[in-house]
Amino acid sequence: MAIPPSTLRPGPRPTLPAPWLWLLCLALPACAAASDSAAMATFRQQIQPLLKEYCYDCHADGANKGGVAFDELKTDAAVLENHDLWWKALKNLRAGIMPPDKKPQPSATQKLLIEQWIKSSAFAADPQNPDPGRVTVRRLNRTEYRNTVRDLMGVEFDTEKEFPPDDSGHGFDNIGDVLTLPPMLLEKYLAAARTIVSMAVPARAKAPEEFVLNGRSFRGDEPSPNATNRGPMNATTQALSYYDAASVTNRHRAAHPGRYQLLLDVTANERFVDNQFDYNKCRLTFRVDGREVHQHEYTREGGKAFHFDIDQQWQAGEHELVWVMEPLTPQQKRVRSLSIRLDSVTVRGPLEPKYWVRPKNFARFFQQDAPRGAAARRRYAKEILEPFVWRAYRRDVEPKTIDRLVALAETTYRQSGKTFEEGIGQAMVAVLASPRFLFREESAVADINASRHVGSARPPAASSSYALVDEYALATRLSYFYWSSTPDDALLRLARDGRLREQYTEQARRLLRDRRSEALVRNFVGQWLQTRDTETVTIDARQVLNREAASDPDGEKRRQRFRALRDKPEESLTPEEKKELEEIRSTFFRRFGRPLRAELTGDLRRALRQETEKSFDYVVREDRSLLELINGDYTFLNERLARHYGLTNLNVTGEELRLVRVPPESGRGGVLTQGSVLAVTSNPTRTSPVKRGLFILDNILGTPPAPPPPDIPPLEDAAKDIKDRPVSLRETLALHREKPLCSSCHNRMDPLGLAFENFNAMGMWRDKERNQEIDATGRLLSGESFSRIQELKQILAQNHAVEFYRTITEKLLTYALGRGLEYYDVLTVDAIVEELKRSDGRASVLLTGIINSAPFQKTRLAEMPQNAESPRNVKTAQAAALAQ
Amino acid sequence: MNTQLQRELSLSRRHFLRGLGACIALPAFESLRPVRMLAASAAAGSGLAVTKTGAPLRAAFLCFPNGAIPSAWWPKEDGKQFEFSRTLKPLEPLREHLQVLGGLDQKFAYPGPDGAGDHARGNGVFLTGVRLKKSATDIRAGISIDQVMARHIGHLTRFPSLELSSDAVRTAGACDSGYACAYQFNLSWSSATTPVAAESNPRAVFERLFGAGAPGERATNMKRRQQEQRSVLDFVLEDARGMNRRLNGRDREKLDQYLTGVREIETSIQKAERFGTVKDPGVETPSGIPQERAQYVQLMFDMLTLAFQTDCTRVATLLLGHDGDNRSLPEIGVPEGHHDLSHHFNNQEKIQKLTDIDLWYVTQFAKLVKKLNDTKDVDGESLLHNSMIVYGSGNADGNRHTHSNLPLILAGAGGGTLTPGRYVQHGAKPMTNLFLSMAERMGIQKLDSFGDSTGRLGDV
Repeated sequence: MAIPPSTLRPGPRPTLPAPWLWLLCLALPACAAASDSAAMATFRQQIQPLLKEYCYDCHADGANKGGVAFDELKTDAAVLENHDLWWKALKNLRAGIMPPDKKPQPSATQKLLIEQWIKSSAFAADPQNPDPGRVTVRRLNRTEYRNTVRDLMGVEFDTEKEFPPDDSGHGFDNIGDVLTLPPMLLEKYLAAARTIVSMAVPARAKAPEEFVLNGRSFRGDEPSPNATNRGPMNATTQALSYYDAASVTNRHRAAHPGRYQLLLDVTANERFVDNQFDYNKCRLTFRVDGREVHQHEYTREGGKAFHFDIDQQWQAGEHELVWVMEPLTPQQKRVRSLSIRLDSVTVRGPLEPKYWVRPKNFARFFQQDAPRGAAARRRYAKEILEPFVWRAYRRDVEPKTIDRLVALAETTYRQSGKTFEEGIGQAMVAVLASPRFLFREESAVADINASRHVGSARPPAASSSYALVDEYALATRLSYFYWSSTPDDALLRLARDGRLREQYTEQARRLLRDRRSEALVRNFVGQWLQTRDTETVTIDARQVLNREAASDPDGEKRRQRFRALRDKPEESLTPEEKKELEEIRSTFFRRFGRPLRAELTGDLRRALRQETEKSFDYVVREDRSLLELINGDYTFLNERLARHYGLTNLNVTGEELRLVRVPPESGRGGVLTQGSVLAVTSNPTRTSPVKRGLFILDNILGTPPAPPPPDIPPLEDAAKDIKDRPVSLRETLALHREKPLCSSCHNRMDPLGLAFENFNAMGMWRDKERNQEIDATGRLLSGESFSRIQELKQILAQNHAVEFYRTITEKLLTYALGRGLEYYDVLTVDAIVEELKRSDGRASVLLTGIINSAPFQKTRLAEMPQNAESPRNVKTAQAAALAQ
Repeated sequence: MNTQLQRELSLSRRHFLRGLGACIALPAFESLRPVRMLAASAAAGSGLAVTKTGAPLRAAFLCFPNGAIPSAWWPKEDGKQFEFSRTLKPLEPLREHLQVLGGLDQKFAYPGPDGAGDHARGNGVFLTGVRLKKSATDIRAGISIDQVMARHIGHLTRFPSLELSSDAVRTAGACDSGYACAYQFNLSWSSATTPVAAESNPRAVFERLFGAGAPGERATNMKRRQQEQRSVLDFVLEDARGMNRRLNGRDREKLDQYLTGVREIETSIQKAERFGTVKDPGVETPSGIPQERAQYVQLMFDMLTLAFQTDCTRVATLLLGHDGDNRSLPEIGVPEGHHDLSHHFNNQEKIQKLTDIDLWYVTQFAKLVKKLNDTKDVDGESLLHNSMIVYGSGNADGNRHTHSNLPLILAGAGGGTLTPGRYVQHGAKPMTNLFLSMAERMGIQKLDSFGDSTGRLGDV
């Protein structure tokens, strides 16, 4: 019976004697799930009075700040079923955001009481049988597609170049609901399937042997001094400059005499310079055994690729192959670092069929030459395609589909001019284009008895409309979690035999130990800590470093004059002005012509990214405390990185990153002070304490502020110089906190971000900015104050460990499930957080907790259709009967 | 052996252009033939996507990010004799071929009950004019005007529409204030829940339009590919049907997208048969995305021009930069991020730099307009004459996140149905009214409302 709130008698006073309260707290979880009336009784007696005291001022009696009004819940149903409201309340209460600072706060026990009630009554969550939720069927994202193709077909397909980016949700790009499949992408999938098959699957059983001699393998007497390598550091090519004579040699031993083909691949590169053109030419000659067999003259070609085929008649034995570079225009100005990049020389042959060998990758797909006779061929085709499609679809495939595939192959290989292998290839194209490959379909095991399991996997309760996901689905979830790739044969076999859950723990361990688990590190950390952006974030090194240099008012004036002159149309400049323009331009270029000591080049960015990835990898693999990610006393460095951080006294040499203990004075240690995080939370020309503060609130503490209000009123230009001194960022940001509209959120963000001001936008340490000492002190909203970054890290790790555990659990759980978290996931998260607290944050606890959780192991049955075709699954009717 | 994939991407647009100017014979003739007859026998303007002379009529929508500084964008006085403002100066030589539109709004880009997220909204409503559903995962927008056009006129060309972008990189992590990233990175929506992903790689665009391989081989490559595709499609359709029986609810929606894609491919195969072999433009395929931004943007403009010129399609969109884009333009002396600058809080130096960025975008656009103007169309007029090109942003004043009086240019004469050469203040009308007027000129008769429109925009 619903009681209108106004007639409620005031409940017992909120300050209950402590012992009784604790008893109630303990008793609550057990019996609260029992009945709604008990829940409502508790609500009226215990919870509502607390709400009245602490919340009603703003959220009742006509007021509904933030759209929340507790007294609008007029019926029992309204109270108990308003999950969104209670979830928001729970999150805000836990984060300490509500009640707001400066208002009376409930005691810890009172908070706990409310939390318990929300979880057990409002959410009606049964810890023995939590709602596992439901993931919308996921298609493979770019990373997963690439890895799956690598593992299935043995070739690399660059999805970053070929496919459009995936939309992300909740910070991750593997969320089922969010991944769409526009028609353009389907076209690309079809094209990709063809390309992949043509790269991976040999078109004939025997072909001329091919040896690829990559460009790097040609050796010269000394390296070309002006060679420029454009693009990513590539270990397989080398560049020869247009401007210097050079000659590089390689040798190849031909096993047999005969006709050979040499396939030459080179690319003509340049370094683009605006408005200046390079007219140099060169001649590149190719010599075999001392004789010239090919030559070509090149002008500036801007990245064009060239391919030449040379026929040769060779004896068996060693042959010398030489590239000779000849500059043709020594007098021309050298402007654009023109170069020819030697990609590869492929030696194909002998071309006579008697010397043909199995093409590479043949054994992966075929065992033998194709038999004769239609029936025998069909049988052989089936032998090949059946396991292939089992692996590709990641589950048992019904015979009629396999028959259709065989028929498809046959239609192709029966065409004149086509081989058996090409027919198989065509069938594989169809498989790779199928939605059963592109989507991760799952079904449910409703029969409790059908799945034998030991270990920590929870048995499904009899009364559930939830069920375990089938073993194949579980195998797929595991492998895409750890490897971002398809399950291997071992996993699939266990799933086929229904024995995966039996060996769950060992399998999880095996998957983690496997090299492929670096995908988990790369993709999770890449998105959680945004290290993926390290390679592309725009940082203007010059501007950043200028802020640390003493301020240069003279330089500023000249720069302004330069702009003023440059803006005028060229024709209107007087000769004096022209001269002035030239002079300033050349001064600037002289100053800026010098290479910067700390430019964020490709390998530095890569090292920064790897530093963070390796730190996480270390914690996970060595099962260390996750808190080390905040205040560990080590990081991973190579020589370049050590120099960048100014840690040259640690004697780190070489390109490999390795674990290095860092002295506390350096401020390093933990991911927050790693260059990757520092750079992605900066603006192109300076640090952004607001972004850094936001980063910590979002990714470490899990208490993101509300978005900024609309129509932010214009701030007076706060960066006016005080006398001649430019204002520090700290002083500018102080304005945020003067206005109440801004301070509510900025009081939480700014102190955190300002603590990192000793690190510039490239992650380098600095003591001063614009000639002023950096002040890294601050005070958190929760009361702790700190005077330097080391202290902040300590505070975060000690006083806010639980928030960190909760945040990282939520993030990793989202990544693992492929859906955003809902209110019913609170139980799962809380259980894992409790375990983490008990174990001091050990990483294995987190991973195990996730893969053993209900959302990972199960799904909601009601929306799961029966899979009539799969032998492993029981019909829903039977499951429904079980549920009675 | 696809060596293209193994090439790293660096490009010379010059190289590509060397061939472009010389030998594009206008193949539009062939695909125009049936339409010509239609236009000849029907009254002027009653055909679909044709001008009264029987030439194709095209529409393109270009979007730049973060608004434009109003004081530097808007000319002082309206009418025919208006003086070009600082930002719009590069367009002055083309005065007779474009009009500056003032007073057009996108009311659903304002926060309303949804709070922050003006960049997601600015981008997402630009061509849809609807209130977006604020959710990180539950995406709901509305069909965009280019897709509405494509539905009506898409059957006339090999490709119903073309979606392009010169914004290739996506950042990790979450997007604007709780909105799904899809809103911020997509202009085109084929339905409320399906964004149409844009192609950002010029090579991929070219190969899609004309086929892969060297000049001369492309047609054969395409034909062979289409034949093989048919048997593959039959197989996957069967798989999809089986899967469809097993799924329900939201899962089915995802599979639906797959099925739609297959259907579209089948349609394009049928079309290919109807239209005959594609005429090879006889130029080299671009090798990828150029390093320098201006080059990249111009190359995408080249693809757009080529697509229109060869009548591969008559409706296109191009995302120059997603709203909220924080790219810097050091090549013009602006090392700071665009979005960061756009919140200038009246700092003069920032405003100056922003104006430079706005000017840069308009300079690029002016080159496209000039190119279209210099290209001859089948009826002797210029390509520009037979097009309607919208250039604008979903944000007006990027500093304040306003969405009224959006910076908009309408270039082209719409085959003679538009009146360029003016600056017109329309006085607080929905931008979608403009879309209705454009659709009408495309020959789409029954479209009386779109998004938040209140009627067709007169005086265009």
